[in-house]
Amino acid sequence: MSPLRAEARLLLRSGRNLFAVILLLMLTSAAVWSGLVQMDAQRATIERVEREQTRDLAAVEAAQAGPKGEAGYNAYYAFMLTQDPPPALAFAAIGQRDLQPFVLRIRALGLEAQRYDSENYNAELALPGVFDWAFVLIYLAPLVIIALTHDMVTAEREAGRLRLLLSLPGSGLWRRRTGLRYALVLAALALPLITGAIIAGAPVAGTFGIMLAAALYCAFWFGLALLIGAALRASATAAAAMIGCWIVPTLVIPTLGNAAIAGAIPAGKGIDLTLAQREVVHKGWDIPKEETFEPFFVNHPEWRGKEEFEGRFHWKWYYAMHQVGDETVAQDVADYRGALTARDKWTSRLGLILPGVGTMNVMHRLADTDSTAGFAYQDSIAAYHERLRKFYYPYMFNDKAFTRADFAQIPRYTSRVPGGSLPAGSLVALLLAAALFLWLGARKVTRVSSARDSRPKDD
Amino acid sequence: MAQGTAEPAIELAGVQHSYGTAPVLRGLDLSVQRGEIYALLGGNGAGKSTTLSALLGFIAPSSGSVRVCGIDPVSDPRGARAQMAYVPENVSLYDHLTARENIAYFLALAGHDTGASVIEPALGAVGLDSQAWDRRMSGFSKGMRQKVAIALALARDVPVLLLDEPTSGLDPRAVLEFNGLLDTARERQVAVLMVTHDLVSAVDIADRIGFLTAGRIEEEQQAGEGARFDLNALHDRYAGTGQAI
Amino acid sequence: MSSVGLIARDEWRALLRNRAGLLASGLLVLLVLVASFTSLERRVAIEADRERYQASVDEQFDQQPDRHPHRMVHYGQFVFRPIAPLAFFDTGVDSYTGNTIFLEGHRQNSANFAEARQSSLLMRFGQLTPAFVLQTLAPLLLIFLGFASISRERERGTLRLMAAQGVAARQVMQGKLLAHGVIALVIGLPAFLVLGGFAATGAASWAAVLPMIGGYAAWLLLWAVLGVILSAVLRRSRDVLAVLIGLWMVGVILLPRALPVAAEARTQLDTNIETEIALHREVAEIGDSHDPDDPYFNDFRQRVLDEYGVESVEDLPVQYAGLVSIEGERLTTGIYADAAERSRAREDAQNALVHDFSLISPLIAIRQLSMTLAGSDLAAHYDFLQQTEAFRYDFVQRLNRMQAELIPGIGGEDPRISAEYWQDIPRFHYQAPSPFDRPSDLIWPAAVLLGWLAALSVLAVWASRRLERNLR
Repeated sequence: MSPLRAEARLLLRSGRNLFAVILLLMLTSAAVWSGLVQMDAQRATIERVEREQTRDLAAVEAAQAGPKGEAGYNAYYAFMLTQDPPPALAFAAIGQRDLQPFVLRIRALGLEAQRYDSENYNAELALPGVFDWAFVLIYLAPLVIIALTHDMVTAEREAGRLRLLLSLPGSGLWRRRTGLRYALVLAALALPLITGAIIAGAPVAGTFGIMLAAALYCAFWFGLALLIGAALRASATAAAAMIGCWIVPTLVIPTLGNAAIAGAIPAGKGIDLTLAQREVVHKGWDIPKEETFEPFFVNHPEWRGKEEFEGRFHWKWYYAMHQVGDETVAQDVADYRGALTARDKWTSRLGLILPGVGTMNVMHRLADTDSTAGFAYQDSIAAYHERLRKFYYPYMFNDKAFTRADFAQIPRYTSRVPGGSLPAGSLVALLLAAALFLWLGARKVTRVSSARDSRPKDD
Repeated sequence: MAQGTAEPAIELAGVQHSYGTAPVLRGLDLSVQRGEIYALLGGNGAGKSTTLSALLGFIAPSSGSVRVCGIDPVSDPRGARAQMAYVPENVSLYDHLTARENIAYFLALAGHDTGASVIEPALGAVGLDSQAWDRRMSGFSKGMRQKVAIALALARDVPVLLLDEPTSGLDPRAVLEFNGLLDTARERQVAVLMVTHDLVSAVDIADRIGFLTAGRIEEEQQAGEGARFDLNALHDRYAGTGQAI
Repeated sequence: MSSVGLIARDEWRALLRNRAGLLASGLLVLLVLVASFTSLERRVAIEADRERYQASVDEQFDQQPDRHPHRMVHYGQFVFRPIAPLAFFDTGVDSYTGNTIFLEGHRQNSANFAEARQSSLLMRFGQLTPAFVLQTLAPLLLIFLGFASISRERERGTLRLMAAQGVAARQVMQGKLLAHGVIALVIGLPAFLVLGGFAATGAASWAAVLPMIGGYAAWLLLWAVLGVILSAVLRRSRDVLAVLIGLWMVGVILLPRALPVAAEARTQLDTNIETEIALHREVAEIGDSHDPDDPYFNDFRQRVLDEYGVESVEDLPVQYAGLVSIEGERLTTGIYADAAERSRAREDAQNALVHDFSLISPLIAIRQLSMTLAGSDLAAHYDFLQQTEAFRYDFVQRLNRMQAELIPGIGGEDPRISAEYWQDIPRFHYQAPSPFDRPSDLIWPAAVLLGWLAALSVLAVWASRRLERNLR
């Protein structure tokens, strides 16, 4: 029997260790299942909304498009659907997808009054955070690692076996024991993830990237556990110390960090820009039409000379007014986005120091479910809004009838391509943290074999 | 004894060691031949366990030389340990494994063959009831645990056996059985160094007895047949009273 | 001193010598204070922001020029939800619900700019409030301080020594319970003082603060008692620690996250989009005011003509279009109200499922109790939505009535009414709901917490009998 096989038998015959690994496997499987269910629910919601939307658009088409159809009315009543279906890997790391809308209807009116609308979600259910694979990895896996490793050294000492083990001629005892536990933990994490990835049809590279981050994160915890486990003498003390080390970076510092970031970077511009946009749009009714058209032509010079119309109201003026409203608050919009991006950036920076936060950042970036993904969806909505406006302008400025054939030409939103990427910086930081703590832990545990730790109590 | 000219299996010469500023070994000289049973007697703190640590390569003595079958455990701990089997005091092996599995486990760690042909004779030799071989050790008595630990040492089939307080906590019958085991070891030409403060059992079994006081051998006596001791006097002088003497 | 008192005093002395324990307790107290301070500061800033915004939008409303009233229906009003005084202690769902709504005619907009949507993923680790510290972290500290309380004595043999000196296991148990119960309350004390201070300055009512203190005291005691009981029942300290951490993990971290998945799988919410589309369809089914042959609006016209005793729309002293707007608003608001009620019923069903599990995970009970008393629960958010909706209906109908009654007297191609009328339109005045309006939201969680304490007391009696047997 090889030493590794002997070690595996020893580990798996221990009810407590086996229980911990099986528990992790079950939790991970449940989390993967839960993630798949939640993402399926989002897809089903999108399909449901699309069906309703088709019916709704058909009604608008029947009422507005035709020989006497006016593009302005049509643009006013035809809400167009945008959707952000979950990326394939979202099941593993749901991120902000439970809060951020993944369907939003917009029309050619002012974008800024539409794009921040919320979707319906149950705030009380959202409050504790999502239950997905990433949660199991970041919160629960370290506890399982602690359960498996906290007494790896101390239990041997407490049972009087440490000197016997060290007196044997073989080498690599701690390496085998740690490696075996590491492999089991990773297997319990990876098997459900890979199964889920196959079910969801997730890209291999992304799945691998997530697994790599998980492997590094677990390596960090194994290193820390070795370090503490080898430094302390009693199993209970070691367990308590390790859990203390778990609480501070996973519960205390992130909440402190969040409070600090939210306090340092206010995001009030969202409200400011909404209010400012309303003022501009409504003031448009009370000022001479040129004052609306002139700023509009700055960015839309092609319509200059076509602004004249009879009477009090024309759709081209109405939509120009909305567009000017958007353009007036462009700086506020940029500031608002800047604040949100800055909050995100500081979170990434915090992730460089805190492996838990770093792992979270890496995984959600790979799964494309973080704030960056939310921004990308917002940007795609803005781009689509522009296409939509520009589709309608020729009908309005040229006073062209809006027929059923034209209705069929309305540009449709195409969902953005999921943009998961590998944040190299965060991954390198994670790698360094893992390497550092593994090294420190290995160094500490090797010293167990030398004089001081093997010194008998009473001699 | 025939091996007088052969190289001793265990040899410590002028070994000094201290933990911090407290000296523990102060010029320890000791040698054990193959087929010889040497009992090292001393009270708490006399340096008994430190002597074992020096042999096992757990500590590097500040001066003097340590050799196990000619190998220096400091420079080649693995080579030296390959020659030794060590039975700690009060060892409890893995409770959730059977006696057989425990031996197989430790043999595997030592890189030793783990087949039944190795384990079963060893378990048989220590006199553990064969019904107990495949029972989990959680239900074993102290004596049974001791037997398994010694079976492990025998199974490794090495020339040197180090025993740390082997008879402590054993009932008189178990001590007798243990003595029988050491006879077997002697027959197999194993050099046995047992560290103990149990003078009676040392006298019963050892070929030679060294009295360790404050880090050096104060007195050495031949034991075995023919040797006579004034047990009371020896007891008064060495056993259980430590360095104060 | 009785032996119970002596045992308790001994335990305190041992804990005072435990440097790691002292450090952890000190850190927790510090964290409560930091959380109180930053959260209070944040609340003040948010409060000031929202007041400022509300004042500025109200002023802007007043400053609108002469206009057609229908323009003002769509100029609308922004309302900001004032933050409850105790929300600093427990932000509850406040960060997850929008805090500003744009109110306009025949549309029900969503509450927007929820903090959670403006934050990075970091927010999902939790928010630093005293409630977070007490709910999540304090139990862990109590576990660390208490897990070895009795098992340590057993492992060191001192338990037998005490038994030999005639101390009954019951007394040991009572002494340890007394020691750790007092410790639990001491750990809660800084937070309780903050709450008390807040009430003493009149910023919050004692009626809300006292049950809050009571609830958290019960929650902390529960963990202290649980720790001592398990320490008496299980053989080894590390097993006690493992079981306690496991219970904490499942009850405080895992279940609160996993239950929502089950709740959402069982009851699905409609999206706003579906609600809106359904609404349009329902409105269309009622009738089309522009269709001269529409039965519903023909009926309506006939009723109006009869009421004013005239023959045709042209003879009406009021603008018929204005009356149609009033009727239209009435209809859409009714449909919106139905949809909102359905949606709320579904959310309530989802939350009820989670609340049922408070029997297993009392965290859910203390969370609900705390949020409700702090005025940061979902019900308070709903109350805000209802108030804004009632307000919206009122001001839109006032404007519609102005259109009906004033426009005929003005006439012309671009009829506008005087800006002075905007002063007559009411402004939103939020009436903070009382947590005691919904007694069931308080009684159930309180009952669960007390039930847990009662059950643990019974368990403690059993545990001390068992301990007695084992010592003999």
